[in-house]
Amino acid sequence: MSLCPDLPRPGFSFDNCKRNAALESRGYKSKGFVKTGTTIVGVCYKDGVVLGADSRATGGNIVADKFCDKLHKMSNKIFCAGAGTASDCDKVTEMIRGQIALLELNSGRDVRVASVVRIIKQYLYRYQGHIGCALIIGGYDATGCHLHSIAPHGSSMELPYLTMGSGSLAATAVLESRWKPDLDLEATKKLVRDATAAGILNDLGSGSSVNMVVLTKKGNETFYPYDIVCAKGVRSGLYDFPSGTTKVLRTKVIPYEIEKVEVRGASEEDEPMDI
Amino acid sequence: MSILAYNGGIVIAMKGDGCVAIATDRRLGVEGRTVSIDFERVFEMGPRLFVGLPGLATDTITVSQKLRFDMNLYELQENRQMTPKTFATLLSGTLYEKRFGPYFIEPVVAGMDPKTNEPYVACMDLIGSTTETVDFVVSGTAEEEAYGMCETLWRPGMKPDELFECISQCVLNAMDRDAISGWGVKVHVMEKDKVTTRYLKTRMD
Amino acid sequence: MIADVDEPISTGTTLVAAHFKDGIVIAADSRTSSGSYVANRVADKLTKITDSIYCCRSGSAADTQCIADAVAYHLAFYEMQTGKPATVEAAANVFRNICYKYRDDMVAGIICAGYDDERGGGIYSIPPGGCLVEEKRVISAGSGSVFISGFLDALFKNNMSKEECVDLCLKAVSLAIHKDTSSGGVCRMAVITKDGVERKLFLNNELVQYEG
Repeated sequence: MSLCPDLPRPGFSFDNCKRNAALESRGYKSKGFVKTGTTIVGVCYKDGVVLGADSRATGGNIVADKFCDKLHKMSNKIFCAGAGTASDCDKVTEMIRGQIALLELNSGRDVRVASVVRIIKQYLYRYQGHIGCALIIGGYDATGCHLHSIAPHGSSMELPYLTMGSGSLAATAVLESRWKPDLDLEATKKLVRDATAAGILNDLGSGSSVNMVVLTKKGNETFYPYDIVCAKGVRSGLYDFPSGTTKVLRTKVIPYEIEKVEVRGASEEDEPMDI
Repeated sequence: MSILAYNGGIVIAMKGDGCVAIATDRRLGVEGRTVSIDFERVFEMGPRLFVGLPGLATDTITVSQKLRFDMNLYELQENRQMTPKTFATLLSGTLYEKRFGPYFIEPVVAGMDPKTNEPYVACMDLIGSTTETVDFVVSGTAEEEAYGMCETLWRPGMKPDELFECISQCVLNAMDRDAISGWGVKVHVMEKDKVTTRYLKTRMD
Repeated sequence: MIADVDEPISTGTTLVAAHFKDGIVIAADSRTSSGSYVANRVADKLTKITDSIYCCRSGSAADTQCIADAVAYHLAFYEMQTGKPATVEAAANVFRNICYKYRDDMVAGIICAGYDDERGGGIYSIPPGGCLVEEKRVISAGSGSVFISGFLDALFKNNMSKEECVDLCLKAVSLAIHKDTSSGGVCRMAVITKDGVERKLFLNNELVQYEG
């Protein structure tokens, strides 16, 4: 041990792998990761692209999150819907978003959908499917509107309408029967809603509500949620315990003396920059 | 058996009206054998910022020390307190770094924003997939039981005293149906001007 | 998982490449499957490498897309350095090098075909394992090829006209689509001559129907 250890290397760390393998060989299994379960849908229409997603995250048979956000913003006019291992989807999109932002700042132009797809698929291909995220990427750029999907192993395809995730079979059934070229916005939103709802209602891994984003040359418009397909029932009684029900052995209070209260808003518009 | 159930333990965090609570049991076991009844798996990372690290005890300790180090470094460099959200992002990154050989803990973060006093709770899986909620989060071996309790007892707009009763009853009753959690409970209730820590009387079996 | 949506995506394919009087014709079905799930029913397995060289991909979709991207990059650079279009043979050798180097880790069967002014039309097959075979007449590849290789050998003639050649390829792909479960959808084609590339598309109802 040195007093001044080296800075940790960037990238994945495999420090625990040997230990974890040893534990596994003694019969101690690891736990599964949180999966998004997911129905994600993307549809092109005459002026842009609509992406839809359900909002359930599952860990085994537990609903880990009832209202999670599976639509990730990549740039102003490009969004990405993720299915598969929740952590992988979050981290991959977050990391690529950083690269995209730098690309846009360096080039002074809006990045193209094809570039985003290429960056992500090359990253996923490097990890040979071990990073388990399946993505639908849709957006509007200088060459029009585009919709791509990327599988975890790094293959991609471009189509006018797409679904992914465990609910994709139910959603595909809706899209295959109702999709037509050059739909208008309202019909497309309805179609995306119905396709996602088919996943929510028929697939156990998908649930709760439909989130949606519309991408056009004007930018993005989000609907969180667009529709709550399955809402929690209203509780008819109160189950409050009267104060003092719980037996307390010992209490310790750490007071904070507040000298001054100053609340500064976190929004960017509050502080104009001086030049 | 799952490695996450080797030592046992449960952590729950809940939001109230201008307050946040985090509760944990105090048992440390080696499978069925109870080894300690004052084990810490919830750590005070700053004023009104707590993190619970239920799971494999060795990783609970390793990660808590690593987080303490990273947080101290951040506060020295930035000369400001870390917000709960930033802390959750730091923790998530720490876990995802070990994507292919994870720490066996499923953390819970509970805190209040140092400036706006906005309550914050979040939980993660063992590779850092963060779930931020408006109501409560649970993690640990009594997770399923605790979800049932919280879904029933939690309601919006609870005051600190109500929140304390609610979270205490949730953790107590969830623990009663989990053989490897229990042996004492510690509840922290955070408000804008104080943190109240209470030790609860529980069954010791 | 109920469905096969988690399986790696692969192109269990029918590919055909044939010489004719003025150049070559390549043809493929359009089914991309993930286990037994059809991930894409209108896939384009004929991928452009340079202006006059195409490749037909079969095997893992991720592997073959990656190889095609790498070769296209390689040849674009090579063409800039030499200042003239790459030959089909050169392209095929780049494919071969990559396929051979990663033969243990990749599943890729590729036909590289195109036209260059030095040697005219060229068809090269790079089967899984990474060897390189030049084909002077006609070749089929992918899972559907077992149903049509004899058919192609029997009906292929040297110096066919473009129409005859397109017709033969369409018949062959139609047969394979009917017999092979991993092949399906439409038939995509490319005719590559000294005048460039002409893409053709035959929808499912335009395929040749065989009774029985």
